[in-house]
Amino acid sequence: MCCSSSIQRDKAMMGAPEAFDINAVKGMKFFDPHVHMTSRTTDDYQAMADAGVVALIEPAFWLGQPRTGLDSFRDYYSSLIGWERFRSSQFGIKHYCTIGLNSREANNESLAEQVMEILPLFVYKEGVVGIGEIGFDDQTAAEEKYYRLQLELAKEAGLPVQVHTPHRDKKKGTQRSMDIALEHGLDPYSVIIDHNNEETVKEVLDRGFWAAFTIYPFTKMGNERMVEIVKQYGAERIMVNSAADWGISDPLAVPKTASLMKMRGLSDQDIELVTYRNAITAFAQSGQLNETDFNAQIDLTGKFEGNTILRGGQQPKTDKSSIIIS
Amino acid sequence: MREDHMKAVKEIIASVVKNNINLVAENWPEQFILATDQPAQLAKVFVMLPRKTGKLPVAINDDQQEILHTAGFGYIGNWTIDRLSRVWLLSTLNSEDKDTFYSTVDRLFPAAEINEAVALYSALPFLAHPEIWVKRCAEGIRSNIGSVLEAIMENNPYPSGNLDEAAWNQLVLKAFFTEKNISSIIGLDQRANPDLALTLIDYAKERWAAGRKVNPQLWRLVGKFINAKIFETLKVGLQHYDQIEQRAIALAISESGYQPAKDYINTFPELKLALADGSLNWNSF
Repeated sequence: MCCSSSIQRDKAMMGAPEAFDINAVKGMKFFDPHVHMTSRTTDDYQAMADAGVVALIEPAFWLGQPRTGLDSFRDYYSSLIGWERFRSSQFGIKHYCTIGLNSREANNESLAEQVMEILPLFVYKEGVVGIGEIGFDDQTAAEEKYYRLQLELAKEAGLPVQVHTPHRDKKKGTQRSMDIALEHGLDPYSVIIDHNNEETVKEVLDRGFWAAFTIYPFTKMGNERMVEIVKQYGAERIMVNSAADWGISDPLAVPKTASLMKMRGLSDQDIELVTYRNAITAFAQSGQLNETDFNAQIDLTGKFEGNTILRGGQQPKTDKSSIIIS
Repeated sequence: MREDHMKAVKEIIASVVKNNINLVAENWPEQFILATDQPAQLAKVFVMLPRKTGKLPVAINDDQQEILHTAGFGYIGNWTIDRLSRVWLLSTLNSEDKDTFYSTVDRLFPAAEINEAVALYSALPFLAHPEIWVKRCAEGIRSNIGSVLEAIMENNPYPSGNLDEAAWNQLVLKAFFTEKNISSIIGLDQRANPDLALTLIDYAKERWAAGRKVNPQLWRLVGKFINAKIFETLKVGLQHYDQIEQRAIALAISESGYQPAKDYINTFPELKLALADGSLNWNSF
């Protein structure tokens, strides 16, 4: 995207890739608590389902460029609880979302005011498991204003908060996000601080917040680093996500990380906590997320193997290697 | 930017535009300049300009290039004619009525495609009433599109001359993040400040923790503000294996007034030597 010049060099630094062997985590279930499916294809949904992703959360974010009018926001929020939820269900993946005004677009104050007015129409909807992703980007006064207003909204609605921490000036931005959340009287146990790294994780955990990690090529965490973090800090209140979006990202980041953790000797219990259970515990505080609603009763990893029998309203799987499209 | 320089630059831009477009095309924008309903016509003319001008690189003679270079606008010679023509068009707008001028140009931003956005941000130094474009410029830094960021960050005197410190720091930080050509940021050294230095140091630590390299140019913005605390971080960097980073940190320290750091550098014979022979400067990274 914005940093294409680095990609080849980073690839060169990382060396030849090791193949992802799905068998290492076969039979495991995964929950990706941060993934922007609106930007992804049905192939991605299929691959996620095949790899064992049974549920996900799509946080409201920006679309790569700023929206210029209120209706674009309304339609976007509406699509998160409508069309995208349906699309996901076709692949047997339970789709939840968090709703909020993202930090970047909070800087357009006249529009932000209008967006704040329509947020209550969406945050009480079924399957909305939090206010998110909100927080800081440039760390401007406008971003702070709308972050605070939305923390109040979260309190009022009794919803967890999914906090986006900035790419730039991350350490200070993360500290400030937590300070402000506490100032507004939020229980740190209801706040998920996202996009952590080695420099932020300790304080986030020490202060009682949930620490989410985004496994995203080049710009955020790599999953080898993630393995080391779980080895060092344990699995309590830690979760991983893909944050896959319109950038070069990987919707299989969660199962791949689980697989790597398995290969590197982490216990099945720890792997389950950071790639499934913790996210559910955190977001179920909304009262809008129930594990029994997942379409997980069927064995997703095995369901298409060797035959073409479709179950549970699944989409037919297409053969991508065939030149014929029928 | 001195007034007379700016005037000369605008004259050259006008003549380069004239020399680079054909007569039919030339007549068209000139009619626009004389038009009484400029605001109504601008959007269409601005958007359609490449159809008239083509998109070839501008041809510019040595004398013109020399004057542009002296005024700090030498990079314009690398533009394409559609970009230059759009900048020229905006620079000629009637700006007497500030509000009309603002709303006429401002509404081009939200509808701009990539090349238009590049031209709009490239035009900032040439627009009347520079103070009214600060917000647009800060907004542009939030873009994720490489060429748009380059138009704002590289070789553009507008940001350093007009942005407040928070927005400026954001520009510099984002330039590092998106791997822009740091030494092309105009006003980089002049606008160095302690807040930015501390933020960049946090960024460097984050890169190290992730096993990534740090752009050596980062340290030139830290040198002036070295104190005991910053010195501790620099020591970590100096103990890294990366020779380029070591040299950049050494150069930053040599520009500081913090004696303990200078004494420390002298314990590295190779760095001491590199500083002593004067071969080390920020252009060498």
